Amino acid sequence: MTAKEKRKLKSNLTTLATWLVSIIYAFPILYMFITSIKPEEKVAPPRWDFTPTLENYAVVFSDELFTHLFNSVIITLITVLLAILLSLPAAYSIVFGNLKKAESYYNWFITTTLLPAVAVVIPIYLAFNYVGVLDTRLGLILLYTGAGVPLMIWMVKTFFEDVPYEIIEAADIDGCSRFTSFFKIVLPLIKGGIFSTALLVFITTWNEFFFAVNMTYSKSSTLSVYLNRFLTQQGFFWAKMSAAATVVVIIPIILGFFTQKTLVKGLTVGAVKG
Amino acid sequence: MQLSKNLMQTNRKAKKNLSRYLILPAIIFVAIITQIPFIMTIIISFLKWNVKRPDMPITFAGFDNYIYIFSDSNFYRVLLNSFIQAFVSLALCTVLGFLLALLFNRSFKGIYFARSFIIVPYFVMESVVGIIWKTLILSPSFGINQVVANFFGAEPIAFFSSGLSLVTIIILIVWQWTPFLFMILLAGLQNLSEDVIESARIDGAGGLSMIYYIKVPMIKNYFIVGMMFGLINILKVFGLVFVTTQGGPGVSSANLPYYVYRTAFYDWQMGRSSAIAVITVVITLIIIQSFFNLMKRRQKGGNVA
Repeated sequence: MTAKEKRKLKSNLTTLATWLVSIIYAFPILYMFITSIKPEEKVAPPRWDFTPTLENYAVVFSDELFTHLFNSVIITLITVLLAILLSLPAAYSIVFGNLKKAESYYNWFITTTLLPAVAVVIPIYLAFNYVGVLDTRLGLILLYTGAGVPLMIWMVKTFFEDVPYEIIEAADIDGCSRFTSFFKIVLPLIKGGIFSTALLVFITTWNEFFFAVNMTYSKSSTLSVYLNRFLTQQGFFWAKMSAAATVVVIIPIILGFFTQKTLVKGLTVGAVKG
Repeated sequence: MQLSKNLMQTNRKAKKNLSRYLILPAIIFVAIITQIPFIMTIIISFLKWNVKRPDMPITFAGFDNYIYIFSDSNFYRVLLNSFIQAFVSLALCTVLGFLLALLFNRSFKGIYFARSFIIVPYFVMESVVGIIWKTLILSPSFGINQVVANFFGAEPIAFFSSGLSLVTIIILIVWQWTPFLFMILLAGLQNLSEDVIESARIDGAGGLSMIYYIKVPMIKNYFIVGMMFGLINILKVFGLVFVTTQGGPGVSSANLPYYVYRTAFYDWQMGRSSAIAVITVVITLIIIQSFFNLMKRRQKGGNVA
């Protein structure tokens, strides 16, 4: 065997090992998916001689699931929209607004993400109860927007910083208003970044559990809470449970693929600069 | 000429002044949702208040809630659990994430798919992670746990018993948060310049010494960032505990967020629960601050050496 052949063999073996590691790591999710297409009687104890079926999905797609799916979609979309509307102007202001303490405002937003949810849950629960927004979609939207805005500002700021200030100055000199220059010049440059950041806010909102479980009990619950209830009610029907879980996680997983890069960029931009 | 220049400058200044106020709506909104409630939590922590007993008046309790908590043996157990959970998980996530990043820091056909397999758990909601691990994987009666035990002819491990429940929670946290460290550390490795690696190789560094003396120090900042955010998020873990062990048996796997929840929504003791929440925030800030300082010192020390 020549040295070249040896190197190639080693590379192929490493690739094989990498694939094995990946599959083992994702096994719980893959197994969940496999279980969801098994007939119920082949699930516990697990048997592998089965013909794939969609019957579990047919059972799981009930009115109840659609109610909660609708809740999750509405709550998440409005949250993302509100977060964009509040964060973009704020991030613009931090980067181009010539603020005296731009950096400390920015840091303040980041520190609010440190605050654990338990630190605010009691007064919010009492206030929501008092105002009557407990177990409503509005209540969750307000909370999630409050959590989404700092996250969004944090990530989006790095994209604004990539826009050279000279471009905006040039537009100023040409008599372009800041409003027009934002939509005509800045926005087209960073729309990719904004889109991925919006996906990130979408995922965190979609997956949120703590407020969802404490602030809603039935009619406004999101999928994460519904799924937990589904388990307590149908805990012995693992195939149906897996089908429901697959429906719930498929959206964030797909979106996650598209947003990895932004997530890493937003988080590590400080690390790169040192 | 001079005049028009001045005019232009005032015009530009006005524009700057205007865009400075664009930050206000976001500040106000976030303050209302996060800061004001936290101040309220501090106030409530000094009250005696059971919401399920409207007949009992809300009274000022002074430091009673805090005194009660600090003389409660369960609280110390929960506190210890939180520390173990946070630091053991973080250490494992970092080591595992780095090893995976080393494995993936090359290119081959289909790498994007293989990498996505590793990252998936990070995007799965906590309640689903808890549910599938509790049933499909770790259930001693019909889970993979039992399949493996049968294969070795042993009894399946009781992952949710009092002795192991905290370990089980840690396993789930590690599974969910390793991808996060992996993503960041991999970005660090891919950002290393080829020249440095090449010249180190010429100097005779290879294999382990290359990793330990060249790669780890050079991506130190990525370690700091990843570990900081990992720690912040691991300290907040709630859903995993909620759907798997409910903090039990007893309080053997409860962490601070779960304990706040239980005191508020099982015992309905708003004052006491708020006091635990305040203590949680203080501890969180101390941990994060000291961790940050430690990392910073390390960083400086590294630069000198």
